[in-house]
Amino acid sequence: MDQQTRDDLLKLFQGKLNEAMRFYLETCTRCGVCTEACHVHASMGQVKYIAAYRAEIVRRLYKKYFKGRGKVWPSVGEAKELSEMALDELYDAAYSCTGCRRCMVYCPFGIDTQMLMSIAKLLLVGAESEPEILTLLADTSIEKGKSIELFKENFMEGIKRLEAKVVSKWKMEAGETAIPMDVEGADLLYVALAGAHSIIPAAAIFNAAGENWTLSFFEAVNFGAFVGDPTKSKLILDRIVNEAIRLKVKEVCICECGTAFRVMKQLAGKQPFKVSSITEVHARYIREGRIKLDKNKMDGGVTYHDPCQIARNAGVMDEPRYILKHLTDDYRELTDDPRYNWCCGGGGGLVAMGEDTLDFRMKSSRVKVDQVNATGADILATACENCHAQLDNLNDHYKMGVEVKFLSSMIADALVQDAQP
Amino acid sequence: METLYYIILVPMVYVAFATFFIGTAVRLIKIFREPSHPATLQIYPEKKPRWLWALHDTFLFPTVRRHKPLLWVFLMAFHICILLLIMGHLELFGEIETLQLIPHEIFLGQGFVGLIASIALLYFLFRRFISPVRELSVPEDYYLLILLFLIVLFGSQMDWARRWYFYEELSVDHYREYLSSMLYFKPYLPAEVSDTGHSFMLVLHVFFANLFLMFFPFSQLMHSFLSLPMNKLRRG
Ligand code: SF4
Ligand code: SF4
Repeated sequence: MDQQTRDDLLKLFQGKLNEAMRFYLETCTRCGVCTEACHVHASMGQVKYIAAYRAEIVRRLYKKYFKGRGKVWPSVGEAKELSEMALDELYDAAYSCTGCRRCMVYCPFGIDTQMLMSIAKLLLVGAESEPEILTLLADTSIEKGKSIELFKENFMEGIKRLEAKVVSKWKMEAGETAIPMDVEGADLLYVALAGAHSIIPAAAIFNAAGENWTLSFFEAVNFGAFVGDPTKSKLILDRIVNEAIRLKVKEVCICECGTAFRVMKQLAGKQPFKVSSITEVHARYIREGRIKLDKNKMDGGVTYHDPCQIARNAGVMDEPRYILKHLTDDYRELTDDPRYNWCCGGGGGLVAMGEDTLDFRMKSSRVKVDQVNATGADILATACENCHAQLDNLNDHYKMGVEVKFLSSMIADALVQDAQP
Repeated sequence: METLYYIILVPMVYVAFATFFIGTAVRLIKIFREPSHPATLQIYPEKKPRWLWALHDTFLFPTVRRHKPLLWVFLMAFHICILLLIMGHLELFGEIETLQLIPHEIFLGQGFVGLIASIALLYFLFRRFISPVRELSVPEDYYLLILLFLIVLFGSQMDWARRWYFYEELSVDHYREYLSSMLYFKPYLPAEVSDTGHSFMLVLHVFFANLFLMFFPFSQLMHSFLSLPMNKLRRG
């Protein structure tokens, strides 16, 4: 690696150094308490998958270039040069970490490994060694934000075709639109994913609750966040923020997508609208009696996988349980403390990378499978696209024999039509 | 020999304390002047009041208790011992009445505090030789533990000698004479301090302590200051 490249990369590193990051980089005592925290280590056993080991790969560079010590006495902290080899190590560390932050629950100081991995991911972007597919997806999202007029017609036509299916789940009066779009002054902007499964059940439930809502032109998922590129994450985020402001909505509701929700909720800054996850909105509808659910639609035990970015990292934990209590009498917890729920093993962009990571995803998530099997449940519910895809893969691979379902589609299937006054 | 003793007991002590105080201050200022992270770094579910839970997490190490109970026992013992030892050293400067609230001989704990601390340090050191902590550790971690062990060992040895072997040449009053002269920048070494059978222990104790203090601001020991703000971040 030539000096110029290295300097450029170090500049990127420098840009990441805020107060919290410095805390995390200065502090680890390498006590090893986080050893059992990571599902990858718990499933595969290699030391390189311990949270502190991954973090140390970034920290070694920090010790080399951002501490005086790195010049005087680098070996005391095993400080390391930024080289091609270091980049390979960074890749291994960052793209085997799902950013679930389970390790943060274990660490006596609360070191956030996901944050440290975000440095690794940014350096990889800088060195053009990141997974190309993620950048490609991010760029497509941004492009779409720029030239929405080009996409609009096609998109609206595609959505129209879904309306019949929405109505089959929830009948509507003549003249009402099943999937409203571009409605200025709507109360709620629903940001879905590209995929009918993310739109149809949600639309049926909004209609059932009599919500004044409108569907966003953009998909919620933030590939910029997966690839760890702050500029791109922001651009992708801003598309939705701008749309919400243009339509003057009071609430932005993010579909079942963990990263999208956390990024929107925690990074959008102060805005004239509030940000909710669809799970929170659904719980609200039930609480306010706006929708009624039929408990007899579900056969067998149900368990719920807390998506890391929605539960441990964004605090939506009670709502899904509240909803499930209205859907079944046989609800089973995966853990007594939701902070300790194992990650599904698909986060951090791993699922988005598809087949390439499949083998690793299956091997690294054995503990998740054991956790689900221990409940003996027949239905495995979750509220995140990524988790759903990963859990589906696990179900096939390990022949778990469960049915993996979205919480929203379970609600849509259990809607009681005549509850409507 | 005398000159060497003098260098270690006087100028080096000043240098060490200066490095420790200035180094720590400069580093902390640098860290705390960085902009704060734009988003919350909290782990949910949250419990209130947050600052109280952050204090709880910082001083009682609940996560270690849950996941590594044996390590927790040693960690707790060690950190409490360190506090008591710091207190003991403050008392070596002169009578501090508030510290004598429960009247005791100087170095509370009759020498057992040092003993417990050294055993804990050995435990920390040896667990670093066992996988997976071995693979996680870097040289700094070993050096610090070895240094601390030597400091505590030679320091306690002086206390043990007084208490357990009735060695009386070096007494609390002699230490006080030496330390207060240092504090007022009129360094004076009583003959008892620099020229008795156990002086070499004092010199070694001070020497290793000097090294430790000089390394402190640049090492992972900064966790002593950063643990609370970090735990606050996690609690939100
Ligand atoms: S628990 Fe925290 S301090 Fe201990 S090794 Fe892991 S990251 Fe480092
Ligand atoms: S964030 Fe999750 S995947 Fe990453 S090191 Fe921590 S426990 Fe492992």
